[in-house]
Order: sequence, then C-alpha cells, then structure tokens
Amino acid sequence: MTPVVECLVAFLFGSVVGLLMQRSRFCNTAALRDAIMFKTYRNTKAMLMAMMILTVGFTGFMSVGGGHPMQFDVGLNTFAGLFLFGIGMVLAGACTVSTWVKTGEGNLGALWALLFTFVGMFLFSLVWSWNWWPPAPQTMTGEPNLPALQLGFANARTLQDKLGVPAIVFGLVQFAVLLAIYRAILRRERAQHEKHEQHQKESAEIA
Amino acid sequence: MEFFRKTLDPVFAMAAIAILDIFLFLLLGAWTVGGGETMMTGLMAQAVLGDDLQRIPFWSIVFPPHADYWKIYISLGMFFGAFVGAVLSKEFYWRMPRRASEWLMITLGGLLMGIGIRMAYICNVSTFFGLIPEMNMGGYLAISGILAGAWVGSLIYKKILEG
Repeated sequence: MTPVVECLVAFLFGSVVGLLMQRSRFCNTAALRDAIMFKTYRNTKAMLMAMMILTVGFTGFMSVGGGHPMQFDVGLNTFAGLFLFGIGMVLAGACTVSTWVKTGEGNLGALWALLFTFVGMFLFSLVWSWNWWPPAPQTMTGEPNLPALQLGFANARTLQDKLGVPAIVFGLVQFAVLLAIYRAILRRERAQHEKHEQHQKESAEIA
Repeated sequence: MEFFRKTLDPVFAMAAIAILDIFLFLLLGAWTVGGGETMMTGLMAQAVLGDDLQRIPFWSIVFPPHADYWKIYISLGMFFGAFVGAVLSKEFYWRMPRRASEWLMITLGGLLMGIGIRMAYICNVSTFFGLIPEMNMGGYLAISGILAGAWVGSLIYKKILEG
C-alpha cells in the first residue's frame, strides 16, 4: 500500500470514528473518571464492549499470523507515562481523541488542551535528547533491558510461539474476564436502579 | 435524518468502531492516537526552527518529521468527522471554559498528556483498543498506570472543584 493510500484509509477510518464519537458522546476519560468519581458506567460499558470485540478479533487474526500488532519494548516508561497521562486527561476533561472531537464541535478549551499536548510532546523531546530515555525503537531488542527499566516485548502471538497454544485461546480467556466485568457493572446498575425506585416509592408514600 | 437528531448509544458506537478497527488492524495497525500528534508537533517545530531542529536528536532518531505518516490522518479524520456530525446535528457552537481554574487545569492536563504519551510511546487509545486486545504485556502496565493516574487526577479535580 502506498503512503497516500495509507493516509486515505486512515482519514476515512478517523472520520467515521469522529462522527460516531460525536453522535454518541462517548468519552474515554469519562469511562474511567465517571466510574471512579460518580459510579456511573455509561461510557465504561462502551469501552468494555469494544475491548471484548477487539480481543477476539485481534488474537484470532494473530493466531494465523495476520494483522499488524504493535512492536516495541515496554517497561517502567509505559506505566509512568500512562500514569501522567491519566492525571492529565482527568484535569483536561478529555483524552487525545475527545480533544479532537470536542474541537470539531467548537470547543476552544479542547483546542487549548490539544495545543498544550503538542507543547508537552516538544518539551519531552528536549528532555529525551538529554537523557535518551526511554530507549529509541531502533535500539529495542525485544528482550528485558534492566538498565533502561524495560521488560522487553510479549503479546498473544509470542505466547503462542513459546507455548504452542493458539493466541485466540488466550484471547478467549481475556474475553471471559472482560465479560465478567461487564456483567458485574450491569448487576450494579440494576441494583442502583432498584434502590432509586424504592427511594422514590418511599418518598411518594411519605408525601 | 434520525441519526443526527438522537444521541447514539455509545455501546453501539464503540462496537461499530471496534469492527472497523479490526479491518484497520489487518491493513495498517490498530487505531492509535499520539503518534500522529507527535509527527504534527515535529512538522510544526520544523516549520518554526527549520534546520535547527536537527540539533534536537529526538527529531532525527525517534520521530523524523514527515507529512505522509498515516497516523496524522486518523486524528485529522476524527476532527473532520466530529465537525460534520456537529454541524449536521446543529450542535456546533463556539464554547470555552469561563473560570481561570479551568484554563489552568486544561493547560496542565494537556502538558501531562503530551509528556505521558511520549514517555510511554502510547496513549489511552492504544492501551485499551490496541495493546490490551493484542494481549501485549505493555497493555497491562499501561492500564495499571492510567487507572492510578485517573484516580489521582480525580482527587485533584475534586479538590479544585470543591476549593
């Protein structure tokens, strides 16, 4: 595929994502923040649904060597980076996706967050050029690199190669775990709903 | 059109996105955000600094700026799709935060997101919709990080809101 076709495919995919996100008000930040702060799960359920479908889809194709899984070493930088990101997205009230989507709706605060994401990236490029951490992709070996605080590379496919068990089997186990979480949320929502109804009935009786 | 009048169920929207993402995974790679933004940062920095950008090794070793990087167009597409959706459903209007504390939180939040993405090489999209479904070890490290971060962020947020 030529780079131009790649960019066109990516633009088409992004456009549909943007449209669906705008129409559904899905927000990844809300999926985590609302579950933590308000015990509401509208977005959390949607996120889990996507994760279930993708787990089966990706590990299924990875079992037969299909798809383009991400290839880079992970380690402390992965945890620490997402920790900072997690704080940032709650403070900004949007993640990188919703900053684009909200900017598209005319939200200047989201555009501001996006501009400062660029600034943050540029600042990091300066720090990286001074301490060279985390390692550049070219120097990653896939093996643990303890001086750089990296654990190497492993995914469902490497498990398949090592253990001889198809990647989809691991995928189905993960699917079951995600489904259990999804069902626990549904149960919790039902309990919240019943409590709410009972409360309303009681206040009606008092009145 | 009904689609532009009613809010779509996010579970349905995300299921549809997931199915499209499987096609993207087969063609190019899973849906990702962050790489495109880094490339945009590089391109903007190049426009301002010119050849001086070469003095910052990050931009010659990790992310040499070039405009035909497919991830840029996912982000531009999301902006375009959301704009079209907002205009057609008459939900487009200029809005902005009113309080200084909100501007401060957004500024800090944006900076932390940019720094975090580059430190981890991924953002939340690749965590939930890329690494975890690929069962990459990094996905589990990332999800622990983002949950801890979102929890700390929520504490700070509450404090600022209440203060």
